[in-house]
Amino acid sequence: MNSAFQALLIGFQATIANVRANMQTFLISIATISISIGILGIFLIIFFNLNGFLVSWNQQVQLIVYLNDDISPAQKNNLEALFKDSSRVQSTEEVTKDRAWKDFRLSQAEKSGMEFDLGFNPLPASYKVRFKLSDNRLTHISEFAEKIQSETGVESVEYGKNWISRFEKFMVFCRVFLMATGALLSFGLILIISNTIRLSIYSRQDEIELMLLIGATPGFVKIPFLLEGMLQGLCGSILSLGLMGVIYYYLKSEFQVSIESIARGMDFQFISQPFLLSLVGLSVLIGLVASYISTYHYMQVLNKR
Amino acid sequence: MIQLFNVVKKYGSGSPALDDVSLKIEKGEFVFLTGPSGAGKTTILKVLFGWENFEEGQVLVQGINVGKLDAGNMHTLRRSIGVIFQDYKLLKNKTVFENVAFAQEVTNRDRKTIKFKTWEALKNVGLTPKKDSLPAHLSGGEQQRVAIARAMVNAPPIILADEPTGNLDQEISLEILKLF
Ligand SMILES: Nc1ncnc2c1ncn2[C@@H]1O[C@H](COP(=O)(O)OP(=O)(O)OP(=O)(O)O)[C@@H](O)[C@H]1O
Ligand SMILES: [Mg+2]
Repeated sequence: MNSAFQALLIGFQATIANVRANMQTFLISIATISISIGILGIFLIIFFNLNGFLVSWNQQVQLIVYLNDDISPAQKNNLEALFKDSSRVQSTEEVTKDRAWKDFRLSQAEKSGMEFDLGFNPLPASYKVRFKLSDNRLTHISEFAEKIQSETGVESVEYGKNWISRFEKFMVFCRVFLMATGALLSFGLILIISNTIRLSIYSRQDEIELMLLIGATPGFVKIPFLLEGMLQGLCGSILSLGLMGVIYYYLKSEFQVSIESIARGMDFQFISQPFLLSLVGLSVLIGLVASYISTYHYMQVLNKR
Repeated sequence: MIQLFNVVKKYGSGSPALDDVSLKIEKGEFVFLTGPSGAGKTTILKVLFGWENFEEGQVLVQGINVGKLDAGNMHTLRRSIGVIFQDYKLLKNKTVFENVAFAQEVTNRDRKTIKFKTWEALKNVGLTPKKDSLPAHLSGGEQQRVAIARAMVNAPPIILADEPTGNLDQEISLEILKLF
């Protein structure tokens, strides 16, 4: 048998013994980890769903080009040629003055039940331009909008620019907030886990001392505790994410219909798989760092005699 | 093989436990260190296997300069020394067999060898019938023999025994001394 593997196996057996002997602290530590990872997970879910909302909303963004009333047919042709030449434009739709006015009056009538008549048509004719899906769709739209704006015959362009940029700024804020929360929780977890591991170390002081006396390497002595820290991280995160998964599927089966009625085409998402794995990985890493700190500290004390 | 040059060891600020101690032990020698309680016998042994620092002098064991050895390499020194501690230091939650096997697990031997060597060591000290007992259920002499088996199982070139017959009556003492 490979000797490194055997050392790990022996270490793991010692880990199990440690956990058995200090079951209560182990469970408390796992509960704390679960709660912390749970908080992080909930923020992640909120973030993902907001982000999904932004993406689906982005895809509906279209450019509306309002035309001057006195635009000439040549100028219109010029515009249409520009739309056609652009590789990013998916489709265009012309809305004449009459159509716009009719649509407007129809929607007003629906809302207020009143007919609307000014005796003249105040609305401009327009083009609705849809864009193909791509990564930097919004930048492409705004670039294109600027270009079109300067063409003669164009009165103004509109594509919800302010709203989108505000939403994107909010998502940046969310991202920073998430990272800050994650860092803070990680720090707290390191303190808590390292404390549990320290208790575990103290409960086995005699054995550690003996191991060192009969020629164990520092690494051999540390392995069980490092594994214990990692095990705590693993159990805590899996417990928490598993529980959240169960709650998520319950909520989804109960409320998906009403969610869809509020926001059409929107799916209530769980944390994506790569993020799930990273959360578990993060938790295990935190366990490793925390237990490393404890064992390192203990060894320093031992060596100072 | 073992050399001490003018070693001074102080615990705290009081008078030194070892004051200017020099000695030389060759390979194959069987040496007794005697003195009244508190004379510093245990302290010398602790210095030899690097469990206590010393303030002055030099200690050479198997060509290793003990004073210069850092914590990361201490195991190389300790693997060449089998120690029978004054208080035995048996692990109370492990059986006799496990206690002896433990000394080999620590040095990363493979399982088969561990089993075989443990049997052999227990046979040498006459403890095979007690192999599954916990140390608490053994007599003082039996515990001491477990400690001896553990110290010898890795066949180290040096054996340090701290009062191997200290707490025992003469009959058992003679029996134990035969083991060396
Ligand atoms: N860890 C320690 N801290 C402080 N003083 C110590 C420590 N260990 C030993 N001493 C002191 O050092 C001196 C030598 O102790 P040591 O244990 O070496 O004696 P000994 O010769 O082994 O005695 P005994 O025959 O009783 O075992 C004693 O005065 C003791 O009080
Ligand atoms: Mg002594």
